[in-house]
Formats: sequence, C-alpha cells, structure tokens
Amino acid sequence: MKYALFLGCKIPSKLPAYETSTRAVLRHLGVTLVDLEFDCCGFPARNFSRDAFVVAAARNLALAERAGLDLLAPCACCYGTLRQAMRFLGEDAALRARVTQALAAEGLVWTRKARVEHLLTLLARELGADVLAAAVRSPHTGLRVAAQYGCHVLRPGEVAQFDNPAAPTLFETLIGATGATPVDWPRRLDCCGDPLHEANAPLSGIMAQIKIADAVESGAEMLCTACPHCHLRFDAAQTGSPDQSIRTMLYTQLLGLALGLPAQSLGLAAPLAPRNP
Amino acid sequence: MPAALFQTALYASLVLCALGLVWRISAWFRVRIGPDAQAPTPYQRAAAACRGSVSVLCSRRALHLLGVFFLDVLLLRRLFASGKLRWFGHLLAVLGFALLLLMHALAPLLGAKLFQDYQATLDPYLFLRDLFGVMILLGVALMLLGRSRARTGFAAPRDPAGASFIALLAIVLVTGFLLEADKIASARAFYRMAEQYAGTADPARLKPLRALWASEFGVAFEDLKGPQTPDLLAQGRELHDKACAACHSKPASAFVAYPLARALAPAMAGLEQGQADVWLLYLHVFACFVGLASLPFTRFFHVLASPLSLLLSGAGSAGEFFPAGRVSRRALALDACVRCGICDARCSVAPLARYLGNPLLLPSHKLLATTALAGGRLLRSGREAETVRAADGAFLCTDCGRCTSHCPVGLDLEDLWEAGRADLAAAGLPRPAQWVQARPAFEWAELLEQIPGKAFAAAPLAACAPLAADSGSFSRCVQCQTCTNVCPVVAHGNGAGHGVDLTPQKVMNLLRLGLRDLTLGSRMVWDCAGCYQCQQSCPEGIRVADIMYELRALSVQRLGAVRSHGAQA
Amino acid sequence: MMRARGDAYDVAVIGAGMAGMAAALFAAEQGLSCIQIGNGGSLLFASGLLDLLAVHPVAEGRRWQSPYEALAALAVDEPGHPLARVDSASIRAAFECFVSALGAAGLTYAPLGERNRQLLTSIGTIKTSFGVPAAMVAGVDALAARPPCLLVDFRGLREFSAAQIAATLAGHWRGLRHQRLEFPGYEAAAELYSAHLARALESGETRRRTIALVKPLLGDARALGIPAVLGLARASAVHAAFEAELGVPVFEIPTMPTSVPGLRLLGALESALGKRGVHRRQQASVHALAFDAHAGTAELELGSVSGCEHLSARAVVLATGRFTGRGLRAERDAVRESILGIPVQQPDSRAAWHQRDFLDPAGHALNRAGLSVDADWRPLDAGGKPVWPRLFAVGSILAQQDWMRAKCGSGLAIATAWAAMGKVRTALRGTVPA
Repeated sequence: MKYALFLGCKIPSKLPAYETSTRAVLRHLGVTLVDLEFDCCGFPARNFSRDAFVVAAARNLALAERAGLDLLAPCACCYGTLRQAMRFLGEDAALRARVTQALAAEGLVWTRKARVEHLLTLLARELGADVLAAAVRSPHTGLRVAAQYGCHVLRPGEVAQFDNPAAPTLFETLIGATGATPVDWPRRLDCCGDPLHEANAPLSGIMAQIKIADAVESGAEMLCTACPHCHLRFDAAQTGSPDQSIRTMLYTQLLGLALGLPAQSLGLAAPLAPRNP
Repeated sequence: MPAALFQTALYASLVLCALGLVWRISAWFRVRIGPDAQAPTPYQRAAAACRGSVSVLCSRRALHLLGVFFLDVLLLRRLFASGKLRWFGHLLAVLGFALLLLMHALAPLLGAKLFQDYQATLDPYLFLRDLFGVMILLGVALMLLGRSRARTGFAAPRDPAGASFIALLAIVLVTGFLLEADKIASARAFYRMAEQYAGTADPARLKPLRALWASEFGVAFEDLKGPQTPDLLAQGRELHDKACAACHSKPASAFVAYPLARALAPAMAGLEQGQADVWLLYLHVFACFVGLASLPFTRFFHVLASPLSLLLSGAGSAGEFFPAGRVSRRALALDACVRCGICDARCSVAPLARYLGNPLLLPSHKLLATTALAGGRLLRSGREAETVRAADGAFLCTDCGRCTSHCPVGLDLEDLWEAGRADLAAAGLPRPAQWVQARPAFEWAELLEQIPGKAFAAAPLAACAPLAADSGSFSRCVQCQTCTNVCPVVAHGNGAGHGVDLTPQKVMNLLRLGLRDLTLGSRMVWDCAGCYQCQQSCPEGIRVADIMYELRALSVQRLGAVRSHGAQA
Repeated sequence: MMRARGDAYDVAVIGAGMAGMAAALFAAEQGLSCIQIGNGGSLLFASGLLDLLAVHPVAEGRRWQSPYEALAALAVDEPGHPLARVDSASIRAAFECFVSALGAAGLTYAPLGERNRQLLTSIGTIKTSFGVPAAMVAGVDALAARPPCLLVDFRGLREFSAAQIAATLAGHWRGLRHQRLEFPGYEAAAELYSAHLARALESGETRRRTIALVKPLLGDARALGIPAVLGLARASAVHAAFEAELGVPVFEIPTMPTSVPGLRLLGALESALGKRGVHRRQQASVHALAFDAHAGTAELELGSVSGCEHLSARAVVLATGRFTGRGLRAERDAVRESILGIPVQQPDSRAAWHQRDFLDPAGHALNRAGLSVDADWRPLDAGGKPVWPRLFAVGSILAQQDWMRAKCGSGLAIATAWAAMGKVRTALRGTVPA
C-alpha cells in the first residue's frame, strides 16, 4: 500500500508529533508514504471564495494524480475539504471548467483518479481492526478511552463516506483493537469548536470544555483524537481542574504504543504509566 | 588621486556610515509592530536587548550560538537546504567580496602585514584580484538566476535597497576592471614608470622594453603594433629583468582585465587624451565611498542584520530570552530580509494568491505590508484598496510555518504575521468575522441596497453561490427546526454574549422569503463551525452548511464592497 | 450489468421512516444482509409514542381502550385495511421485537400490555397511544388517578405551556399546579430549543441545578410533569436521576416536533441498525430501480456525490411513505408513485380527492390512496400482477388506510414491516445461495 502523505498546514507547524507517529505506525504496518510538494487544502479559502478553495484542493489532487498515487490525510479537516471539493467539481460543470483551466495554466490535470483517505478510513477499511489487533504487543488493557471522531470523517455522510454518521462504530473498534476499552459518551459526535476559534474564541473554548467535561463524566480516562484541530483545541481547553481535564492522545500514538513502538518515535515524552489493575 | 581628497572622502563616508548605522539600528528599537510593541519605550527595548544578549552569551547557550554562527551565518546551512544554486552563488560572492576587500581595497593597510611581498602588479595578486571580481559577478548572477527560477506568478516586490546595492557593486566591479585594463594598456603610465625605474622616458632608447611590453604586457603603443622581432624582445627582456620584473608579473593572469586591455588598445589614444584613468579611478573610488556611506541604507546592511537575525533564531524563541526583544526582533526583520523569495516559493497559499490575483498573500509582500502598516504608510487615504488587499492576504494565511522554517536568515515570520494581524485589527481591519459584527445584520442589508447591482457583475451569484442562488436548494424547508436543534453553536452560544443572532433555520427562512441580504451580516453565518450536523440531519435534504459557507464568502464580497464604498464616501 | 450473487445485499429498504426502520431492523434480526436508503426525516417529527390503533371507525371517531379489539372490528369492517391483514399474534411479536431493540439501544418503553394508554399533550389535550416511553408512562397513571401534581415548563421553550395545560384541565384535575422555570445556563436566552436542553441535562451539574429549582416547588405534589427534555442518548439515566432526587414519579410530556423523543427514536434506531450491521445511505435518493431477471437481483442507482452509486439486492422493500416523504407525488391529474411509477389506487378524478369540509371527520379519499399489494405484500402492476417477485411495499404508502385519523401510524408501519419481512425471508429462501 502506497500513499502520498498529505500533511496539510497544521501538523508540521503545530503538531509535529502527529506526523512522527503516523510515519512510525504506518512504516511498522507496511504502508509506504511518499512526500509530494502539496500546498494548503483550501479550507481557509472557503470563507472567501468557493472557486479559490476548489482550485487549491483540486491542485493537490492533480499533483497526486500526476504521481499516480492516492492521498492519505491524517488531518480530518483536510480530508473533508478535499472530498468536499471533489463533490462540488462533480456536480457543477461550470466550476469544473474554470478549475480545469486554472490547473492547465500550471500544466496540471485532474480526472478524479486520486482517492482521498484518512488515517481512520485507511486503518479501519483498508487494513482492518483485526490486522491491527494481531500486531499489538502491549495492549492497553483497562484503559477507558473516549473516541473523538471529529466532524469531517463523518459528515456530510455522502462526502465523507465513512461509517454511519448517525451511529458510527469504527473508531471505537479501532480503539478496541489496541486493547483499550472504548467509552460511550453522549457528546461524542459533537464538534470540538476549533473552526470557531478565530471568529468567536469564547464560544470555541466553551464547546471544547463541554466535550471534555462530558468525556470525564462518562468515565473516560483519555480522549483519543484523529485530527490536529480537535487535538489542539482540547489541549488549549484544559483548565486543570479534575472534572475539566483529561489526557488527550492521537490515535496513532495510542496504536503505536500498543504495537510496541518506543514513545519517542511517536512524539511522546514518555509512554503511558503502567496501570494499576 | 590626491591623498587629501581621498582621506576626506573616506572619513566623510565612514562618518555618514556610522550615523546611518546608528539611525538604522535605532529603528530596531523604535519601530512598533504588534500591540505588545506599544508599551515599551525605545530605551526599554534597547536595554532589554542588551540584558538579553549578555545573559545568552554568559550562558551555556553561547556554545550553541557559536555553532549557529559557523553553520548558519558562515556556511549558510539554511540556504543550502532551500536552494543549492543560490547557496553556491552566495558563497562565491561573499568570498570574492571579502577577499577582494582584504587583498585589494585594504591592501595599503593590510597588504604588507598579511601578505609578504605584496605588489598589486605581481602574481598571484593579479590573478586573484580578477578572480575575486569574477567570483562576485558570478555569484550574484547565480543568485539572481536562482531567484528567477522560483516562480510564484508575481513580480517580486520593489526593492530599491537591493537594486541600488547591485548597481553600486556593478559600478565598482566594472570600473575596477576597466581601470585595470586602462592601466595595463596605458602608454603614459609606462613612460612614467620607465622614467622612475629605468631612468629614462625616451621612446627610442626604451624601444626594446617597449616592444616586450607591447607584446607581452598589453601596453598600447601607437608605433608598436603587431608582432615584434625576437631579437628586440630578447633585448627588452634583459632590460625588463633589471628594472621591472621585481614588481611586474605578466598581466595575462589578470584574465578579465588583460583581454579587456587588448580590446581597448585601439581606443587608448582617445582614452588617454580624455584622462580616462583619472575618471575611472574617481568613479571607482567614489562608488566605493558611496557604497560605504550608504551601507546602512542598501542591501549591504544585511551583512549586519541577517547574522543577527540568525543568532537570535538560534538563541531560541525570542520570547524566552528577550521579553521586550521579540518586539525589536520584528523591527529587525525587514533589514535582515534579503528578498530571496524562498518564503514565497514555499508558501502554502501561493496557489490561492495566484488564483485570487492578490500577491499580498505571499510572505515577502506581506513583510513589506506589515512594516508599512507599522510606519502608518498603508492606511493613508488613497491606499485603501491596497490596505484591504493586505488584510485579505493577512487573514488567508494558514500559519503553516513553512515561510519561517525555510527562511535562510531565520526571520520569525509567524510572529510577524500574528503581530501584523493584530495591527490590522487595531487599525479597523480585523478579520471578516469581526468586522461583520460592527453592525447588526439589518443595517448591513440596508447599506447593501445602496450598492448598484452591477458592482457584482463580475462575480455572478450563480457562479460563486450556486446553492444560495437556486431557490430549489432551500424551498423545501418546512421550518422544522431540526437544524437549529442539532447545532452546537446555537446550543452553547444561545443567550450568551458571544451567541448568535439568527439560528440556522431562520437563515433558511430568510432565504425562502427572498431576504438573502439580511443573512449576510448575521453572526450565524460567521460562527457556523461547519460541523455539518444540520445538513446531515435535515429531513428535506437541504444543504444547510454548504449554504452557510456560500453566504459567508458572499458576505465578504458584498459587505466588503459596502465597506469600501463607505470609505470612499 | 452482471453481478455475482455474492455482491448483492439480501434486501434493500428504501425509506427510513418508521416502516423503513422497522423493516431494516426485522431484516437484520432475521440474519439478512440489509442496506437502507433514506435519512429518517419523518422520525424527527415523531412524538416517541407508538400508536397501534385508537380510532375506528374514523368517521365516528370512536376511541378504543383495547387496540386488539379495535383491530378485530377493523378486520370485519375494512378487510382491505393493511392492519386487517396482519394477525394479532404477529402484531404482538412485531411490537415486542421493535420495543426490545429500542430498549437495548438505550430507549426504554413501558411494558406493552393489551390496552391503549391516555396521556397529556403539550397543549393539554389527551392522546391515546399504545407504546409509551418509560419516561412518559407515569403521566398515564397521573392522568388516570389525578393526584396533586406539579407541571413545570421553561421560559423560552416555545409551544409548551404548563399554564395552558393546567387551564385546559382546570375543571377535571384539582391539585394540578403549574410553574415556569428558568433553565440553568440559559437565563439570558430569548428562545430555547428542546434538544439543547436535553443534552444539557445529561451533564450532572446542570441536572443538579435544575432539580434544585424544582424541589422546593413540589410541595404536596405526588407527581411531576415536565417537557420531554430529560436527556437524549442517556434518557433513562436522566429520568431516573430526577425521580430519585425528587422522590416522586416524573413524567415527560411530549412536545411539538421536532421533539426530543423523535430525536431519541431516530438515534436509537440508527444505533440499533448500526450494531446489527445494516448499511446506511442517509442523504441519498434512489434515482433508478431496475430488475435483472437473469441475476435475479434488483439494481438500484443512488444519487451520490461521486456520480452514481450502484447497488444490488435480492429483494427490495418500498417504505417511501406518502407525500411529505415524496414516496407518492400528487400531480395535477393523478397521484403517482415516485420511483417505479407503480399504479396508485386512487379516486377516479382529482375532483374526488377531497370532501368539501376540510375537517370532515371521515377524512378525504386522497388520504386512502396508495399502493395495492397482494397477500405477500407485493405491489401490483396495471395487470394486477406483482411488479417484481421480490419487490414489497410497507407502511403508509399502502392504500386503504388513513393512519392520521385512525391513530395507527406506528402500528401500520411496524406490523406491515414485520409481515412483509416474513414474506421476504420466504422468498429469499429460494434465491439465497446454499
């Protein structure tokens, strides 16, 4: 399995541990990652101009197509944005014409060949939880983990095409594959609030804090994320008080530790402390 | 050249240079970029910088900084990572310049001390001088070539400091080569030297020597053109060995000046009459002095500013070591920036810049805009359009950090962008989500009515907001309020000071009522988190979130026109 | 396009209202692979109550205490009514299965029993229903016994007025008091939304504050009526916490749609289907449906973002509903079935669609239009033959029923889904590979 790794803008600058852990885990699982010269997925441009956002996204898709690869986006926001652009291109012929022209000016062509995967879709569908479980060396037995799906791997369902957006289970299955115990929590499908943090910082913080409190109240010891936006938002929203703080970890880190990879290779300062039975 | 004139010009240049340096360095403590720059006084900033420098140099970090000095400043490790051609060119140019400075310009001071038996007309100095000159030319050419290959689709920002520096450098080098060529070919110089060292200036008696020098030393004698007889040359060689050889190597090793001298030979009579050597010398020397005096104001200043920036970058985040120093570091950035354009080539939103036709998304342009804003230049009347474009550019940045991590001179661009955005906001140009809040939605709608419809003819609704333009997208809305019930933004903001004015189903209702303009200025449109719960849950399959995004982009376009219109009124 | 048998689903359910959800659930319970298309929109308008049969005959408006007795009468008077064609043992089994699945998904219903129940609505009228959520059932007892009772509402929660309910019942229920509360955390909001309140009450902090507001007001009340906002996914726990802290039975009163009980029902069904491996396509519609005689499968073409998605199924259940859900389309000259144009049993002309009096107690002929099906629940073509051997129709798309006036919507959906799925199973036995 070979993918062009689409890191987006947040991971290299704000959450390099996600890149480190993704590379480490996928290398261990036999997935080859190729680095192309991608640019921004176009998400910020959605606020300014529909055309500009689609052109930016299509450009990245065309670059992958030229290399004959599918894309793997560890960031759920990039995943959703790229696929959303594909949707618009599919249904709006005039837009498609404008984008084709813009791409042609750079010698690029997009013919919908390149697929876009997210870490969760790759691990759950292409590899499978069984494969992961079989590769686990030190399971996180007894660790209660709340899965933070985020928004863009689920919705809109016809764009994300991953799991049942009304009642998803795949992320919990993946967490279970590491030996940990997934926890059900009422607000699990809610937005973390990160897209709002520039437009409305107080509200953004509240949305994250309420989710953290919900996870804590549901008995989770850890919040497992699959998107740098969610992860950074939760980090920023921790207040320190016991019912408002929870350990957050990226899924690649949780899985990596279970696979027996050293903590440093996953961007972690230290592995999880051994648990009392 | 008269020594007195030389000395006066030199000292004057040095004084001007010193004053200029003081002025430019003081700007690092005077220029205010960012809201945290408003409080500290220049004195406080300078004092903080001194304290910080001392504390770093006395700490264990000092060793690390030494490493940074060698690797980043001398060996330009960061530039090597981003552009090997330019790195090589820079190395050539710097080496050439430094060595030329040491060996040629400062020869009177240092020549004898550093190099025993230094004579400008001896090998290897003849060769080296030309070599160093060529290294500079080649190095600069390679750097310019490297820059031109990194296309962003836009012209680089205007760069008078860089252009003037290259112009001066070119003048110095060209006049230098020409001067040397003139000296090589000058018959008058020959006669002067012959009188002093051979005891005579009589052309007839000097004929053998002249023959040799015409043949092998490039002198242009009117009466000695073409090949000379071997006997004559042998005689000349004897004379040469006695009187000249001690100080003169064959100028053929001056591989630029010598061919130039040969080429100039036909014109030498005229040049000598016009005293070309004098003019060239004056031009050459004064170009150097102008360069020296204007050093703080041309690109040459980067020789001081860029290493400083690299050392600051190596010292860790400026906030750690220099609390008030971060502010000064921003002011330093414009001087340290060498306009290499590597940041532009790496910028994640460069494709957006190209598509939107706004170069002010690109870092090198943003740097100028940020500094101009700090100087108050950007917001003067008549430049509103540019200021708005600068704001657009500033807020489309995704903070990917590539510009900062690739900058060869270690600028903290991310910090600059953050400060610049705060300055824009303070000047009344915050991000759209904020300036939309300046008025309630109905006020925006009323103002929008005053804008003629043809103002938006270039961006028709059906193209930029196809769902909002097509009533079929929302006419099936039955106002069931499901979208509002599942919306986390309404749930957590309702009734709070940071809450929304309209709910999603109210926005859809306004569309159904044909009151789209009323939605553009609403908070809901800007506070929508794009979580797609509404769209996923809608029983009628209405694409609520997609429509919200369209309304958002539409509001930037249309309410933006209202703002500009108001600014002109 | 030829497809291998292995690639086709056993059954494709088109429609995700009550009937579609029930059909998909029953399919999964029987071990059939199932894909369901549609976004469950109509369930958002559900009240959470499961009607079986309350009114018969519709023209008389006669209400029945026992739905099974009403069904017996219906079988005599309207043998063509879909509910008349399902035996009561099957109806009992269907409801038990349905309610048990909901319970496993966290939405508990009171034990079903043999009788209809009466409970209050948000405007003080009385509704007769059969399946009542556990959180509402104390209201049935309270309405019957009329003890001293406190009704509360929340300022800003539209279309729910405790004062209105109390006023409507004033003559009949002494000791019925009402009180308006400020919902904790929303004191500055002008308008409240029930789903937000329900979510908020899943947080212990908000719950404690709300209970603290109610407790001092209880006085001698021996029951508390509250709008249906006691939790969404954790409804049982929230309701139990209220009862435990307040020490009296607490009953939810159903609110106007889109209501929390409807969201709960949809959520529980999606969860139940997800756990049973039913595949879903929510915001999708069937653009084309064709039958491959050679492969013995139905070929569905769904409108999707990446163009078209093609699916195969060995059986198809049409649960597309009526006009709101666009299962039927009312055009100028006739009513049409949307996907296949199956003949719709309907009045001869548009003039006969409606009575003159809009509120005619007997209802309108148009309401009884729909698909005719054979004994195996298969819709019939113009020649009276099944359109396709394994195409079935269930729920409100069926002819000869007026579910709104007979108060039999859920019953119609669940019972016909159960009966049809039995036939699906039988039909598939011949085609399922060994």
